[in-house]
Amino acid sequence: MNRYLYDGTADGLLSSIAWILEEEPDPEKVTLAKRMDTLFEEGFTISTDATLAESLFFRLKQHAPDAAHTLYSFMLAEKEGMETSLLHYVSLAFKHGDKVKGYLTHPAVRDIVNVAQKAGRELHRMKGLLRFEKLQDGAYLAKMEPDYNIIHPLAYHFSSRLRAQHWFLYDVKRRMAARWNNGTLQFGTIEQFTTPALSEDEKKVQALWQAFFKTIAIPDRKNPRLQKSNMPMKYWKYLVEKQGE
Amino acid sequence: MDILEKLQILSGAARYDASCASSGSRREGPACGTGNTSSSGICHSWADDGRCISLLKILLSNDCIYDCAYCVNRSTNPVERASFTAREVIDLTLDFYRRNYIEGLFLSSAVMQSPDQTMERMVMVAEALRTEEQFGGYIHMKIIPGCSRDLVRKAGLYADRISVNIELPSQASLQRLAPQKHKHAILEPMALIGREIATSLLERKASRRAPRFAPAGQSTQMIIGASPENDFQILRLSQGLYKKMNLKRVYYSAYVPVIADNRLPVLAAPPLLREHRLYQADWLLRFYGFSAEEILSDDAPHLDESFDPKTAWALRHPEFFPVEINRADYATLLRVPGIGVLSAKRIVAARRFSRITPEGLKKIGVVIKRAKYFITCSGRSFENPDQPPALIRQRLLLGESSEAPMSILPKQLVLPGLIA
Repeated sequence: MNRYLYDGTADGLLSSIAWILEEEPDPEKVTLAKRMDTLFEEGFTISTDATLAESLFFRLKQHAPDAAHTLYSFMLAEKEGMETSLLHYVSLAFKHGDKVKGYLTHPAVRDIVNVAQKAGRELHRMKGLLRFEKLQDGAYLAKMEPDYNIIHPLAYHFSSRLRAQHWFLYDVKRRMAARWNNGTLQFGTIEQFTTPALSEDEKKVQALWQAFFKTIAIPDRKNPRLQKSNMPMKYWKYLVEKQGE
Repeated sequence: MDILEKLQILSGAARYDASCASSGSRREGPACGTGNTSSSGICHSWADDGRCISLLKILLSNDCIYDCAYCVNRSTNPVERASFTAREVIDLTLDFYRRNYIEGLFLSSAVMQSPDQTMERMVMVAEALRTEEQFGGYIHMKIIPGCSRDLVRKAGLYADRISVNIELPSQASLQRLAPQKHKHAILEPMALIGREIATSLLERKASRRAPRFAPAGQSTQMIIGASPENDFQILRLSQGLYKKMNLKRVYYSAYVPVIADNRLPVLAAPPLLREHRLYQADWLLRFYGFSAEEILSDDAPHLDESFDPKTAWALRHPEFFPVEINRADYATLLRVPGIGVLSAKRIVAARRFSRITPEGLKKIGVVIKRAKYFITCSGRSFENPDQPPALIRQRLLLGESSEAPMSILPKQLVLPGLIA
């Protein structure tokens, strides 16, 4: 059984999968792991090739769009130690097409689909739970600390929704930011973040939202458990309606 | 009165409307405006009662000329009255939308001077949002029964979803509790909306530029437990609404006593379990291929409190079971208690690759807690196949009594201080 290594980057992962699918007669029999550079590490290192990585994703998208979407969501999770499963999943996806997502009895498929689902779920959740604050200069800023690295797809979602606004997304944990202004979307990292001043009417609008949030619940039907299971407490930090609780 | 007070009064008055769906519509949104809609809908928060908040749900006014017994806004109820101006609703919607608090607006209203006058003011808000403000988010609008057909048509052009509340499950109850409302004034706009939606779909097939009419369809709501109708009557009514009027959703709202009235029942608490069972039965109608007559009958017109309606059906039909997981078609799988749409789809998809073993069944995520009494898997059954329904009933109710002591025991052993 052959063992392959890659450099630990996303491009490295995808390009080594592409390489293995090309060269190995039975990709489901080999393993792939991140190179640790320890003395007794065994395995053949595959060099990283960004164009190869891109073409793999592109071909998968043509062949099995649904599986490509799963691959994309899986990559958002930045999970380590599942490289072999991903290799087997992609190999199976080329073999069976989009039907592969039904092959949940296969351990690799199940692992990859599970992680991808979790990342996808958080992305969907964040589309609702993200909160923008209006700044003094008229721009809007939303801070978040998601478990998965979802800032890219999230920014695309808001670029088609809040088109007329100038806004920022900021992932506090990863120090990554997205900016939308005049029809262009940019990504970058922020080394030092200072909280900008809020616009004058911001606190007033927040108070309105807090009041609405309180009164819209039917008092006879209080159900904090259901509320928490739908909206886990880890997201409350940036929720305007949950401040001061 | 300032805007905060108004918002408190008019959202408090709107909270008894159950619908908060923002799904079913997909709009790109105007290039220079604000907002789009996504077909799956997005929840933005969850209120203290656990219900999802996706729309700014408010009344335009709670100043009502009607006197419906069950309603918090009835004219003889001494609550504070308030009305929004169109501008106030528009600003609130946009301020909230820009901060991603909401997916759009849910606008309803008490009947102010007349149905026409009220509906006209509501339509004006939606029209201004769409045309002046270029708002592309979700709009759900209530239709005030008795308003003109032209206003219904206009509402459908601006809103994503429109709904006419059926309020109570029968004409007799309506007459007794809401004497100013009439069945035909409710059903007529429903039928009109159904026709308009169908026409618009046909026109849009011919030309993509044809205007959309309520692309997310129509829904309705009825109050449960304020009037004497049984569950069978209610389910048959819903079935008719889904089949004949093409409704997207029927919402059931457990009656919450807001004011004492000798025409209303006295309840210790809102009938939440009944509401829950009705929703389960409603799902069976819409997604599981059941008919109301299979779920209930004139002899047993009430939903079982201890079992969900599908389990209750399965216990009455032992001849249908066991179902073989590897052979049964999708529709048959759906009839197994504990197997839902997702599990049934997974089973069908996984069978393409290999036979499903009992272990495999668990691996693909099918929960067999209830299903195990009703299935075989590659010919093997999980439970003794000859158990009489009465015994299955008992075991389903009690859970796994034979396993319970096993799981309690190790827990006690690790409690410090107890053993030593």
